[in-house]
Amino acid sequence: MKRLLGVALGILTAIGGFVDIGDLVTNAVVGSRFGLSLVWVVVVGVVGIVLFANMSGRVAAVSGRATFEVIRERLGPRAGLANLSASFLINLMTVTAEIGGVALALQLASSVYYLLWIPVAAVAVWLVIWRVRFSIMENVTGLLGLTLVIFAVAVFLLKPDWGSLAGQVLAPSVPQQETVWSYSYYAIALFGAAMTPYEVFFFSSGAVEEKWGVKDLAQSRINVLIGFPLGGLLSISIAVCAALVLLPAGISVTSLSQVILPVAEGAGKLGLAFVLVGIVAATFGAALETTLSSGYTLAQFFGWSWGKFRRPAEAARFHLSMIVCLLVGIGVLATGVDPVLVTEYSVVFSAIALPLTYLPILIVANDPQYMREHVNGRAVNALGMVYLVIILVASIAAIPLMIVTGAGS
Amino acid sequence: MLNTPAPAASFPARAAKLLSLAVLSLAVLTGCSGGASQSVSTAVKDSSSAVATARIVLRQDMDGKLTKAAASTSLEDELKEVQTSRSTVLKLSPASQEDRDLQKQALDVLDQCAAGFATARAALAANDGGTPSLSHGDKALADAQDALKQLGDKVGSK
Repeated sequence: MKRLLGVALGILTAIGGFVDIGDLVTNAVVGSRFGLSLVWVVVVGVVGIVLFANMSGRVAAVSGRATFEVIRERLGPRAGLANLSASFLINLMTVTAEIGGVALALQLASSVYYLLWIPVAAVAVWLVIWRVRFSIMENVTGLLGLTLVIFAVAVFLLKPDWGSLAGQVLAPSVPQQETVWSYSYYAIALFGAAMTPYEVFFFSSGAVEEKWGVKDLAQSRINVLIGFPLGGLLSISIAVCAALVLLPAGISVTSLSQVILPVAEGAGKLGLAFVLVGIVAATFGAALETTLSSGYTLAQFFGWSWGKFRRPAEAARFHLSMIVCLLVGIGVLATGVDPVLVTEYSVVFSAIALPLTYLPILIVANDPQYMREHVNGRAVNALGMVYLVIILVASIAAIPLMIVTGAGS
Repeated sequence: MLNTPAPAASFPARAAKLLSLAVLSLAVLTGCSGGASQSVSTAVKDSSSAVATARIVLRQDMDGKLTKAAASTSLEDELKEVQTSRSTVLKLSPASQEDRDLQKQALDVLDQCAAGFATARAALAANDGGTPSLSHGDKALADAQDALKQLGDKVGSK
């Protein structure tokens, strides 16, 4: 019974923790401009993140070490540095976007200007990382993030024409007012949002924090295989909400305040309360994860002592690096840059950096020296190779498309 | 006599050529806009989206579906969008009389949008039966939306 509860909790937190500011904004933007014609990209992205998160969790559970640490050792400092540079910069952008997201959501709840919430959000992130146990931190934010299920509820309350929605999903096409270039640009942004690198580093480091072993592989697999796809459904319901309410009104999403309107339309003030709690929890949870991911990658590259399972005094450089990341995030946001814009750029840059993150994971997951009999099977490797091609194409096409479309505008 | 190949361009020369090509491509890709009408068209599109959002916000507020905090934040966000569009149009340097007229007309319409937002925000603040009422706010935004549509049609027909 206890084990079953553990599995259920793992799945629920995986669903609630799946959506972050990148998913919220990108899915709403795409739904408001392209309807459901890009849902297939979310499906491709979710399968990809399931594949690589599962691989990454397995590396950590079998070797007892975080993926990044193993990459650094297996591929050497140069490859490790390339991986670190790409993932750390994306992480930093994502930390900034998530803190901005928390502040914007708090402004929606309180009408207090978001810039005043930024230091509050950053200090709260630091306090939780400093004081709260890893499992509590993950479970509370994941479970509260589940309130985002209101997006799916709102879809039903909005009474859509299901046939028309199915038509858009099954026969995707570029809307008349959009170009094939902007369609492709947002396809890459959605893919980047679903496969953000911090997720796999956090997942594998989290496995070490929670002392996973080979016996936990089944539970880890269930969390990923059930929790992530259900989280993906949440992402899709955000796009559906935007497609139902905002697209017909000619509204292109440029702010978080537009993202919540379809929920208020369908579910009223109660729905609004749910969505605001969900957005704060999702962005706060992701801010914790990205801040920790920044600390993890740096500490694991330089060989510092790391982890929340250690007292902060025993992992001083790990904690200091996270404080510096938070300060950088505050500094960037204090310039008045729009957090939604930071988010939009962060998901595209994520796509650019994907090969540097996922190729090393595939190599390490095939190394019997670390993985023993738990190396990737043929089917996983074949799928991994297909994804490497997709990732490479997305990475190469991202910058030219960004220039051609004026960043999708 | 041996046919010796021509010496390859030195690395800095090749790099300079590549860089020039990249800059030229960037300039072509980013700079090939339709001048004033293209910028006005974008401003109209962005402002139309902002005004449409504001109208949904007011309607949801009237229906009791939105809290005051969420409604006022949304209106603020959308007003910012209109102000950004206005600032873009204001910074244009029109080359012809036709473009100058278009810029002037766009600025008038965007000012009307901003005034519509002012009425809507005042209506939201005075939501206890005072004036202006929410329907006044909605009327002001609807008029601005019509003006944007006319301007959009004019720019689109060019």
